[in-house]
Amino acid sequence: MSDEHGHHHDEHGHHHPRPASAVELRARALEALLAERGLVSTDAIDAVVELYEHDVGPQNGARVVARAWVDEAYRRRLLTDATAAIAELGFGGAEGENMVVVANAPAVHNMIVCTLCSCYPWPVLGLPPNWYKSAPYRARAVSEPRSVLAEFGVSLADGVEVRVWDSSAEIRYLVLPLRPAGTDGWSEAELAAIVTRDCMIGTALPAVPAGVR
Amino acid sequence: MSAPAPQLAAVDRELGDAAPLPRDNGELVFEEQWQGRALGMGVVALERAGASWAEFRSHLAAAIAARPAAEHESAATAYYACWLDALESLLSEHGLL
Repeated sequence: MSDEHGHHHDEHGHHHPRPASAVELRARALEALLAERGLVSTDAIDAVVELYEHDVGPQNGARVVARAWVDEAYRRRLLTDATAAIAELGFGGAEGENMVVVANAPAVHNMIVCTLCSCYPWPVLGLPPNWYKSAPYRARAVSEPRSVLAEFGVSLADGVEVRVWDSSAEIRYLVLPLRPAGTDGWSEAELAAIVTRDCMIGTALPAVPAGVR
Repeated sequence: MSAPAPQLAAVDRELGDAAPLPRDNGELVFEEQWQGRALGMGVVALERAGASWAEFRSHLAAAIAARPAAEHESAATAYYACWLDALESLLSEHGLL
């Protein structure tokens, strides 16, 4: 965990004032050799690096939510031991070991924040959006969550309690939103499609697109 | 043209918990350009060599076990140095190096 994400690309395309390290020279030599043997090409490597550097991860969380909406037993497991229930769908790993899922209810709305830095359940949600890492969100989600929610376009009835969960390196939260009305009979895949990242952070509510019945 | 590269999530799955790619809160850590290229080179070469990730994983685990910790070396540097070791030994085994 770190306070801010460093930019790891700073050295690309700039002059290298320092001499290349031994391991760097070795990497270059291996690449040249493999290119000569036709096992790699610069373009193919570039494509992979490009793909991975910008991979925000699949939003596996949407599948978790959709499963919980259609399968009551799964929902119970998810709320009891989220890490294990999420692993049932094949997701988890580093920094997703201690997941806690908090369920919205008609009178309870949950949202997550990391006040200290930017802890985030990335194995299920991919990479955090920039605003999640911003100082204003981190502070205001706690001090004035309703205003923050309003700015995200979420207006809650007065009687709804807002619970803010502070993620940390130890525990990472995920919001289980309420299944919206008008989705009876939908397949899991159809349901997963309306569960956005923000729904699972708690800064949005799942919406049934206009024109879909 | 060869098959498209596997998604990063698939690579993560293949590597498992034993030798995960170095990350910082989910983002891959490439401290220097060669580290990203080492990753890309491995992904491309494995596929063209017809080698499996299971094979690569065992070579990687062996390389990590065999490599003494060096001073003043970051985790990412150590990891990708082992990655190069693993790639070389796997390709040698396949008679490609």
